[in-house]
Amino acid sequence: MEAFRQEIILSSVFIYLVICIGVGIWAMRRTKNANDFFVAGKGLGPIVVSLAVFSSTLSGFGFVGGPGLVYATGLSSMWMVVTSALGYATGFYLISKRIRMIAEVRDTVSMPDVVFARYGSEAARLLTAGTILLGVLGYLATQILAMALVLQSILTGTEMFADVSLVMCVVMSSTVLIFYCVTGGVIASVYTDLVQGLVMIVSGALVVITAAHVFDGGFSEVSNILLSNGGEDIMPFGTLGAMASLTWFFLFGLGLAGQPHIATKLMMNRKISDNRIILPMTIFGYVIAAMLWISVGVVMRALVLGDVGMPLASPDQAAPMFLTTYAHPLLAGVVFAGLFAAIMSTADSFLNIGAAALIHDIPKSIRGKVLDNELFWARVATVGLAVLASFFALYSYYENGDLVGLLGAFGWATFAAALVPVVLIGLNWKQASSTAAIVAISSSLIINFGIAVFKIQIPYNISAGFLAMLVSMILFIVISLLAKPKQLPHDIDRIMDL
Amino acid sequence: MKSIHFVLLFLLIIAGITGYILLTEPPVGAAGVPHATIQGMSAGGDGAARLATIGKAPFYFQIIVILLAVSLLTMAVHERLRDTRFYVLMGSATAFALFVWYKVYSGYEAYLATGETDIVFGFPVPTTWMLWGIWGSFVLFDLIFVFFFRNYFYTHEDEQAFEQLVAELNAEKDSAAKQGDA
Repeated sequence: MEAFRQEIILSSVFIYLVICIGVGIWAMRRTKNANDFFVAGKGLGPIVVSLAVFSSTLSGFGFVGGPGLVYATGLSSMWMVVTSALGYATGFYLISKRIRMIAEVRDTVSMPDVVFARYGSEAARLLTAGTILLGVLGYLATQILAMALVLQSILTGTEMFADVSLVMCVVMSSTVLIFYCVTGGVIASVYTDLVQGLVMIVSGALVVITAAHVFDGGFSEVSNILLSNGGEDIMPFGTLGAMASLTWFFLFGLGLAGQPHIATKLMMNRKISDNRIILPMTIFGYVIAAMLWISVGVVMRALVLGDVGMPLASPDQAAPMFLTTYAHPLLAGVVFAGLFAAIMSTADSFLNIGAAALIHDIPKSIRGKVLDNELFWARVATVGLAVLASFFALYSYYENGDLVGLLGAFGWATFAAALVPVVLIGLNWKQASSTAAIVAISSSLIINFGIAVFKIQIPYNISAGFLAMLVSMILFIVISLLAKPKQLPHDIDRIMDL
Repeated sequence: MKSIHFVLLFLLIIAGITGYILLTEPPVGAAGVPHATIQGMSAGGDGAARLATIGKAPFYFQIIVILLAVSLLTMAVHERLRDTRFYVLMGSATAFALFVWYKVYSGYEAYLATGETDIVFGFPVPTTWMLWGIWGSFVLFDLIFVFFFRNYFYTHEDEQAFEQLVAELNAEKDSAAKQGDA
């Protein structure tokens, strides 16, 4: 079987991609209008929603970038993972009920729609849509880059495609993604998430078992190797130190509810009472799948530092290299499909919310009405965004050498800093004002992008996204407290009382 | 004081601690140093030296972050529904989260002081507390949501009130549509 390793891996990935295309064609028949395209008619059951929520959270950023970060910096990035229980708690406590209620009474299809319903401000809606577009481009680029790197690592192992370029891999992988997103919209997205979530859970569990057997002494031997080579990497704060780790905890723990690709999924469930089932299933799926993040990363680091394996050309090669070298061919096939699943399940969500921002929210806030033939333009926007993000991905990789994990963290920070105060606090505090929302979003974008564009190094590697989120939250509350309270629309006022 | 005031207070304290840290002179390798021979990999260097200039600031920082998180979570439950049991549940979960954080940080400090640590469940003791304890302590808040959903988060009365609101709004829409047709 070892002789057919590459063929098995390629076949597994091919079967998975065919399933995605099949789901796209099936979903196309169920997508009759823009409401179906963007929020699946708000009729999804708890299993579909929970798998969609967790698989959208743990993306190529987690499955490819995560192991890469652990390989490069030890356990610093684990603070992005261990905060998941808090992240989901904030999401379900603070927004799941009201965002679903607003979706019901206002027929909203996107986060900017919810922001408009809450604040009655077109400027706030426009800024939210703009933020989503900016974040989507960065985050989607992360997914496309991760997908292409994984595909390239598979294809270069074959004789026929040994010299395949990264550009060609971007084209091939994006084509499948675009196909099922354009044809089936969010229905295809959430039902492929169902398949993808299951594949991710199986992959995560199997990879941990495999990783535990790379060294005879299991993870204890891994820890001993790392402890004898400095040791900071296997201690709680990794090589980046305490403040880098803790500011990531803040950003990821409190920032999850501000991620539009996740929050939007909470608008799609059939019943609000399903949330009590969705939450534990989401956490269970996430924890199992996230084990790949730590197990592959520490094992690859120990292999290199223990002089057992060769250093990687790039930390992002950690997961693909582990699978091609140490996993059983059948397992490698399943897990490679899982890697694609993780990446695509998030990428399709971004294409969906990005298209909604572009052809639904921005025209609505500028013209006061949506475009004619919204469904057609949604599909055009989906293709355009994917192509643009592909260029951005290649630019980031070749010009800046950015790691997938760090690109992903930047995308997460853009959303968290801008939208957490506006959505998470705003949906739970009647006094929150539209002026505060506008200032919070604007300030977060200025800080986040200012630090990135001017390449400002923050001491102790404190997260720029954390600083942006901290400032935006403080400004949001202070400005709202100083403003004269306004009467909310009747329906929103009653929802805020529940 | 309402929950939002606690949220603001904790945010300001976090800003203060962050400001203090940013004003100190970071030691060499405060955020890791490139590995001497392996490209793309960083090394941690001297952990104690990295904390020398900021002391226990990270420890206090995280305590306030935990309290901020709990204040935010409390905002989700309407004041009329917050009874003694609710505060006991949230208080117990908070105490456990703070205990776990103490175990993580004190274990790390002990390692920095002695250079030694035991391995439990495959990882050094403070790391095991971090991987399972931090995650597990916040799972308690998720369990409160699951088991007390109908008590605090979406009561049957809330459900009825929402259904009534939807029915009223639909009736208004129907009425407006009929007037438009007429």
